[in-house]
Amino acid sequence: MEFKLEAHRIVSISLGKIYSARGQRGGLKLHKNLLVSLVLRSARQVYLSEPGCPPEPPPAASGRGGPRLPGADCEGPRPRRCCCGCSCCCAAAGGEANRADCAAAAEAAAPPPPHCPRKRSAGERGQAGSPVKKPRREVEEEPPPGEQEDMETGNVASLISIFGSSFSGLLSKEPKGRRRAPLDGGEATVATTPTDAAAEPGQICCDEPVLRTLNPWSTAIVAF
Amino acid sequence: MEGESIYEADSGDGLGADIISTVEFNHTGELLATGDKGGRVVIFQREPESKNEPYNQGEYNVYSTFQSHEPEFDYLKSLEIEEKINKIKWLPQQNAAHSLLSTNDKTIKLWKITERDKRPEGYNLKDEEGKLKDLSTVTSLQVPVLKPMDLMVEVTPRRIFANGHTYHVNSISVNSDCETYMSADDLRINLWHLAITDRSFNIVDIKPANMEDLTEVITASEFHPHHCNLFVYSSSKGSLRLCDMRASALCDKHSKLYEEPEDPSNRSFFSEIISSVSDVKFSHSGRYMLTRDYLTVKVWDLNMETKPVETYQVHDYLRSKLCSLYENDCIFDKFECAWNGSDSVIMTGAYNNFFRMFDRNTKRDVTLEASRESSKPRAILKPRRVCVGGKRRKDDISVDSLDFTKKILHTAWHPTENIIAIAATNNLYIFQDKVNSEMH
Repeated sequence: MEFKLEAHRIVSISLGKIYSARGQRGGLKLHKNLLVSLVLRSARQVYLSEPGCPPEPPPAASGRGGPRLPGADCEGPRPRRCCCGCSCCCAAAGGEANRADCAAAAEAAAPPPPHCPRKRSAGERGQAGSPVKKPRREVEEEPPPGEQEDMETGNVASLISIFGSSFSGLLSKEPKGRRRAPLDGGEATVATTPTDAAAEPGQICCDEPVLRTLNPWSTAIVAF
Repeated sequence: MEGESIYEADSGDGLGADIISTVEFNHTGELLATGDKGGRVVIFQREPESKNEPYNQGEYNVYSTFQSHEPEFDYLKSLEIEEKINKIKWLPQQNAAHSLLSTNDKTIKLWKITERDKRPEGYNLKDEEGKLKDLSTVTSLQVPVLKPMDLMVEVTPRRIFANGHTYHVNSISVNSDCETYMSADDLRINLWHLAITDRSFNIVDIKPANMEDLTEVITASEFHPHHCNLFVYSSSKGSLRLCDMRASALCDKHSKLYEEPEDPSNRSFFSEIISSVSDVKFSHSGRYMLTRDYLTVKVWDLNMETKPVETYQVHDYLRSKLCSLYENDCIFDKFECAWNGSDSVIMTGAYNNFFRMFDRNTKRDVTLEASRESSKPRAILKPRRVCVGGKRRKDDISVDSLDFTKKILHTAWHPTENIIAIAATNNLYIFQDKVNSEMH
């Protein structure tokens, strides 16, 4: 439990660092941001893989209204789930909430990566009846990693992420107000290395809808 | 160690441009160069020892100051290029002039430093101020003679090695052949000829085809002091790679890989960060390498790849505070390390303006502080101690009262004598051990 709290805190701090890295004089520091992304990945893995009850959300998590069902996800290893819109996703506790989740995941038509189900565990906070997912998405201080893994399945194919595929898994659905214009006019492309073909350090070319979700990350990627 | 001299740089602009970012003695130790965040280089020269003023012997005084790099703007990427001097390396002196290489994130420059202490006087056609004389006033011819003048130090940029690097240059190293040098950025290392600026050879490239697969970057590199074909580079994963340029044109395959397996009991979220090597230095003998990571300095034997031969804890009491240090960014601080002339003592900086020295033979270590109080001329430096709980002696500092904004990242040791230069933010401290030539 403590580890989860600490992991969560580290995830928040790391995201903040990447966010603020954009304004740095001299451009993005590749080394530092690589290290931050490694920490992010470790922390997120711990956060998602640790069994047991999730921590009570810190006060900042205004979006997570409603009582949690304490037993809802205090399960052992989760059964494998498919993340791409199948109703079986929603079979876990907190059906309605997960349905919203799956709807989000269904936006992206990509096959689920094998690790996706485990990571959904954090997203299934077992809130029966309350539209938990939507408000949670608005809370950018603590992007729920599990939920973002849903996005990962769809977005990973169309995102450019320097720091590893798990990085892209942390992209959250930012509130629409924070959308940024695509850097170069928003050409859709895939996560190969058009960046190399473009300018080196390259600029990201992303789908408009994907960019919306990319918001805090585009800064991390922009310099390269 | 005695306090010798303190030089404080403060141009008063309050922007931190005077923060010293690199310190380097030249090969004889007569000159000491510092680079700062504002792109300036200040060179100090050691006064020759004279019998008249025995107490002033060996003092370092400012010899020359010049602006090496200016801020630039990369319009293509909309990025500002900092003028901060990342590294300075002296070339071995080959004639009366001195030469050094200085680099910022993108551009390396070769500077030539010459002295002028005579000036010709008695021209026939020009007067003292250089104006042409009225020819009718010239009645006889004279041969101009060289007369002494006040010493003038002239610094001129001889070469500018630009556009070689996409990523940020972190180190440069002059080859023992005195003709070539290498520059390393996060992902690539280039080999240059000192006389050729429009071409360089790429000798290491660790950029993955897909940047998503990036897992490590180059953090430091250095040529072997004697073997012109060998160089080492360190990575953010804590490994060292020794490369032989005779093996192939592109030295992506290392000849030797030096890596210590991680201690599983020390695993934390930050294990990867603290294992990143921030500096690597060959010993003067060429037999060993010294590396610095966040908490330790390690001595590696070139002949043994599996683990370092010696490991010294610099500030292990920080191990339990890594999360806070991550939060305030201190965990990303890049400390340098240094050998003494005989490779018997190693030195590195820490926080609170402390720096540490480890005697490899006696296994004794000492913590000293670079502060104004302790550095009056000829004041003896008092060893400091950080207490981690338990018995606290007088004058001990507790871990929680360490000042993490006072960090000693850059240190240098005179090539032959026990003189050290310590950069503490915008102050340069020079300490000299006059009594002994060994650690006491």
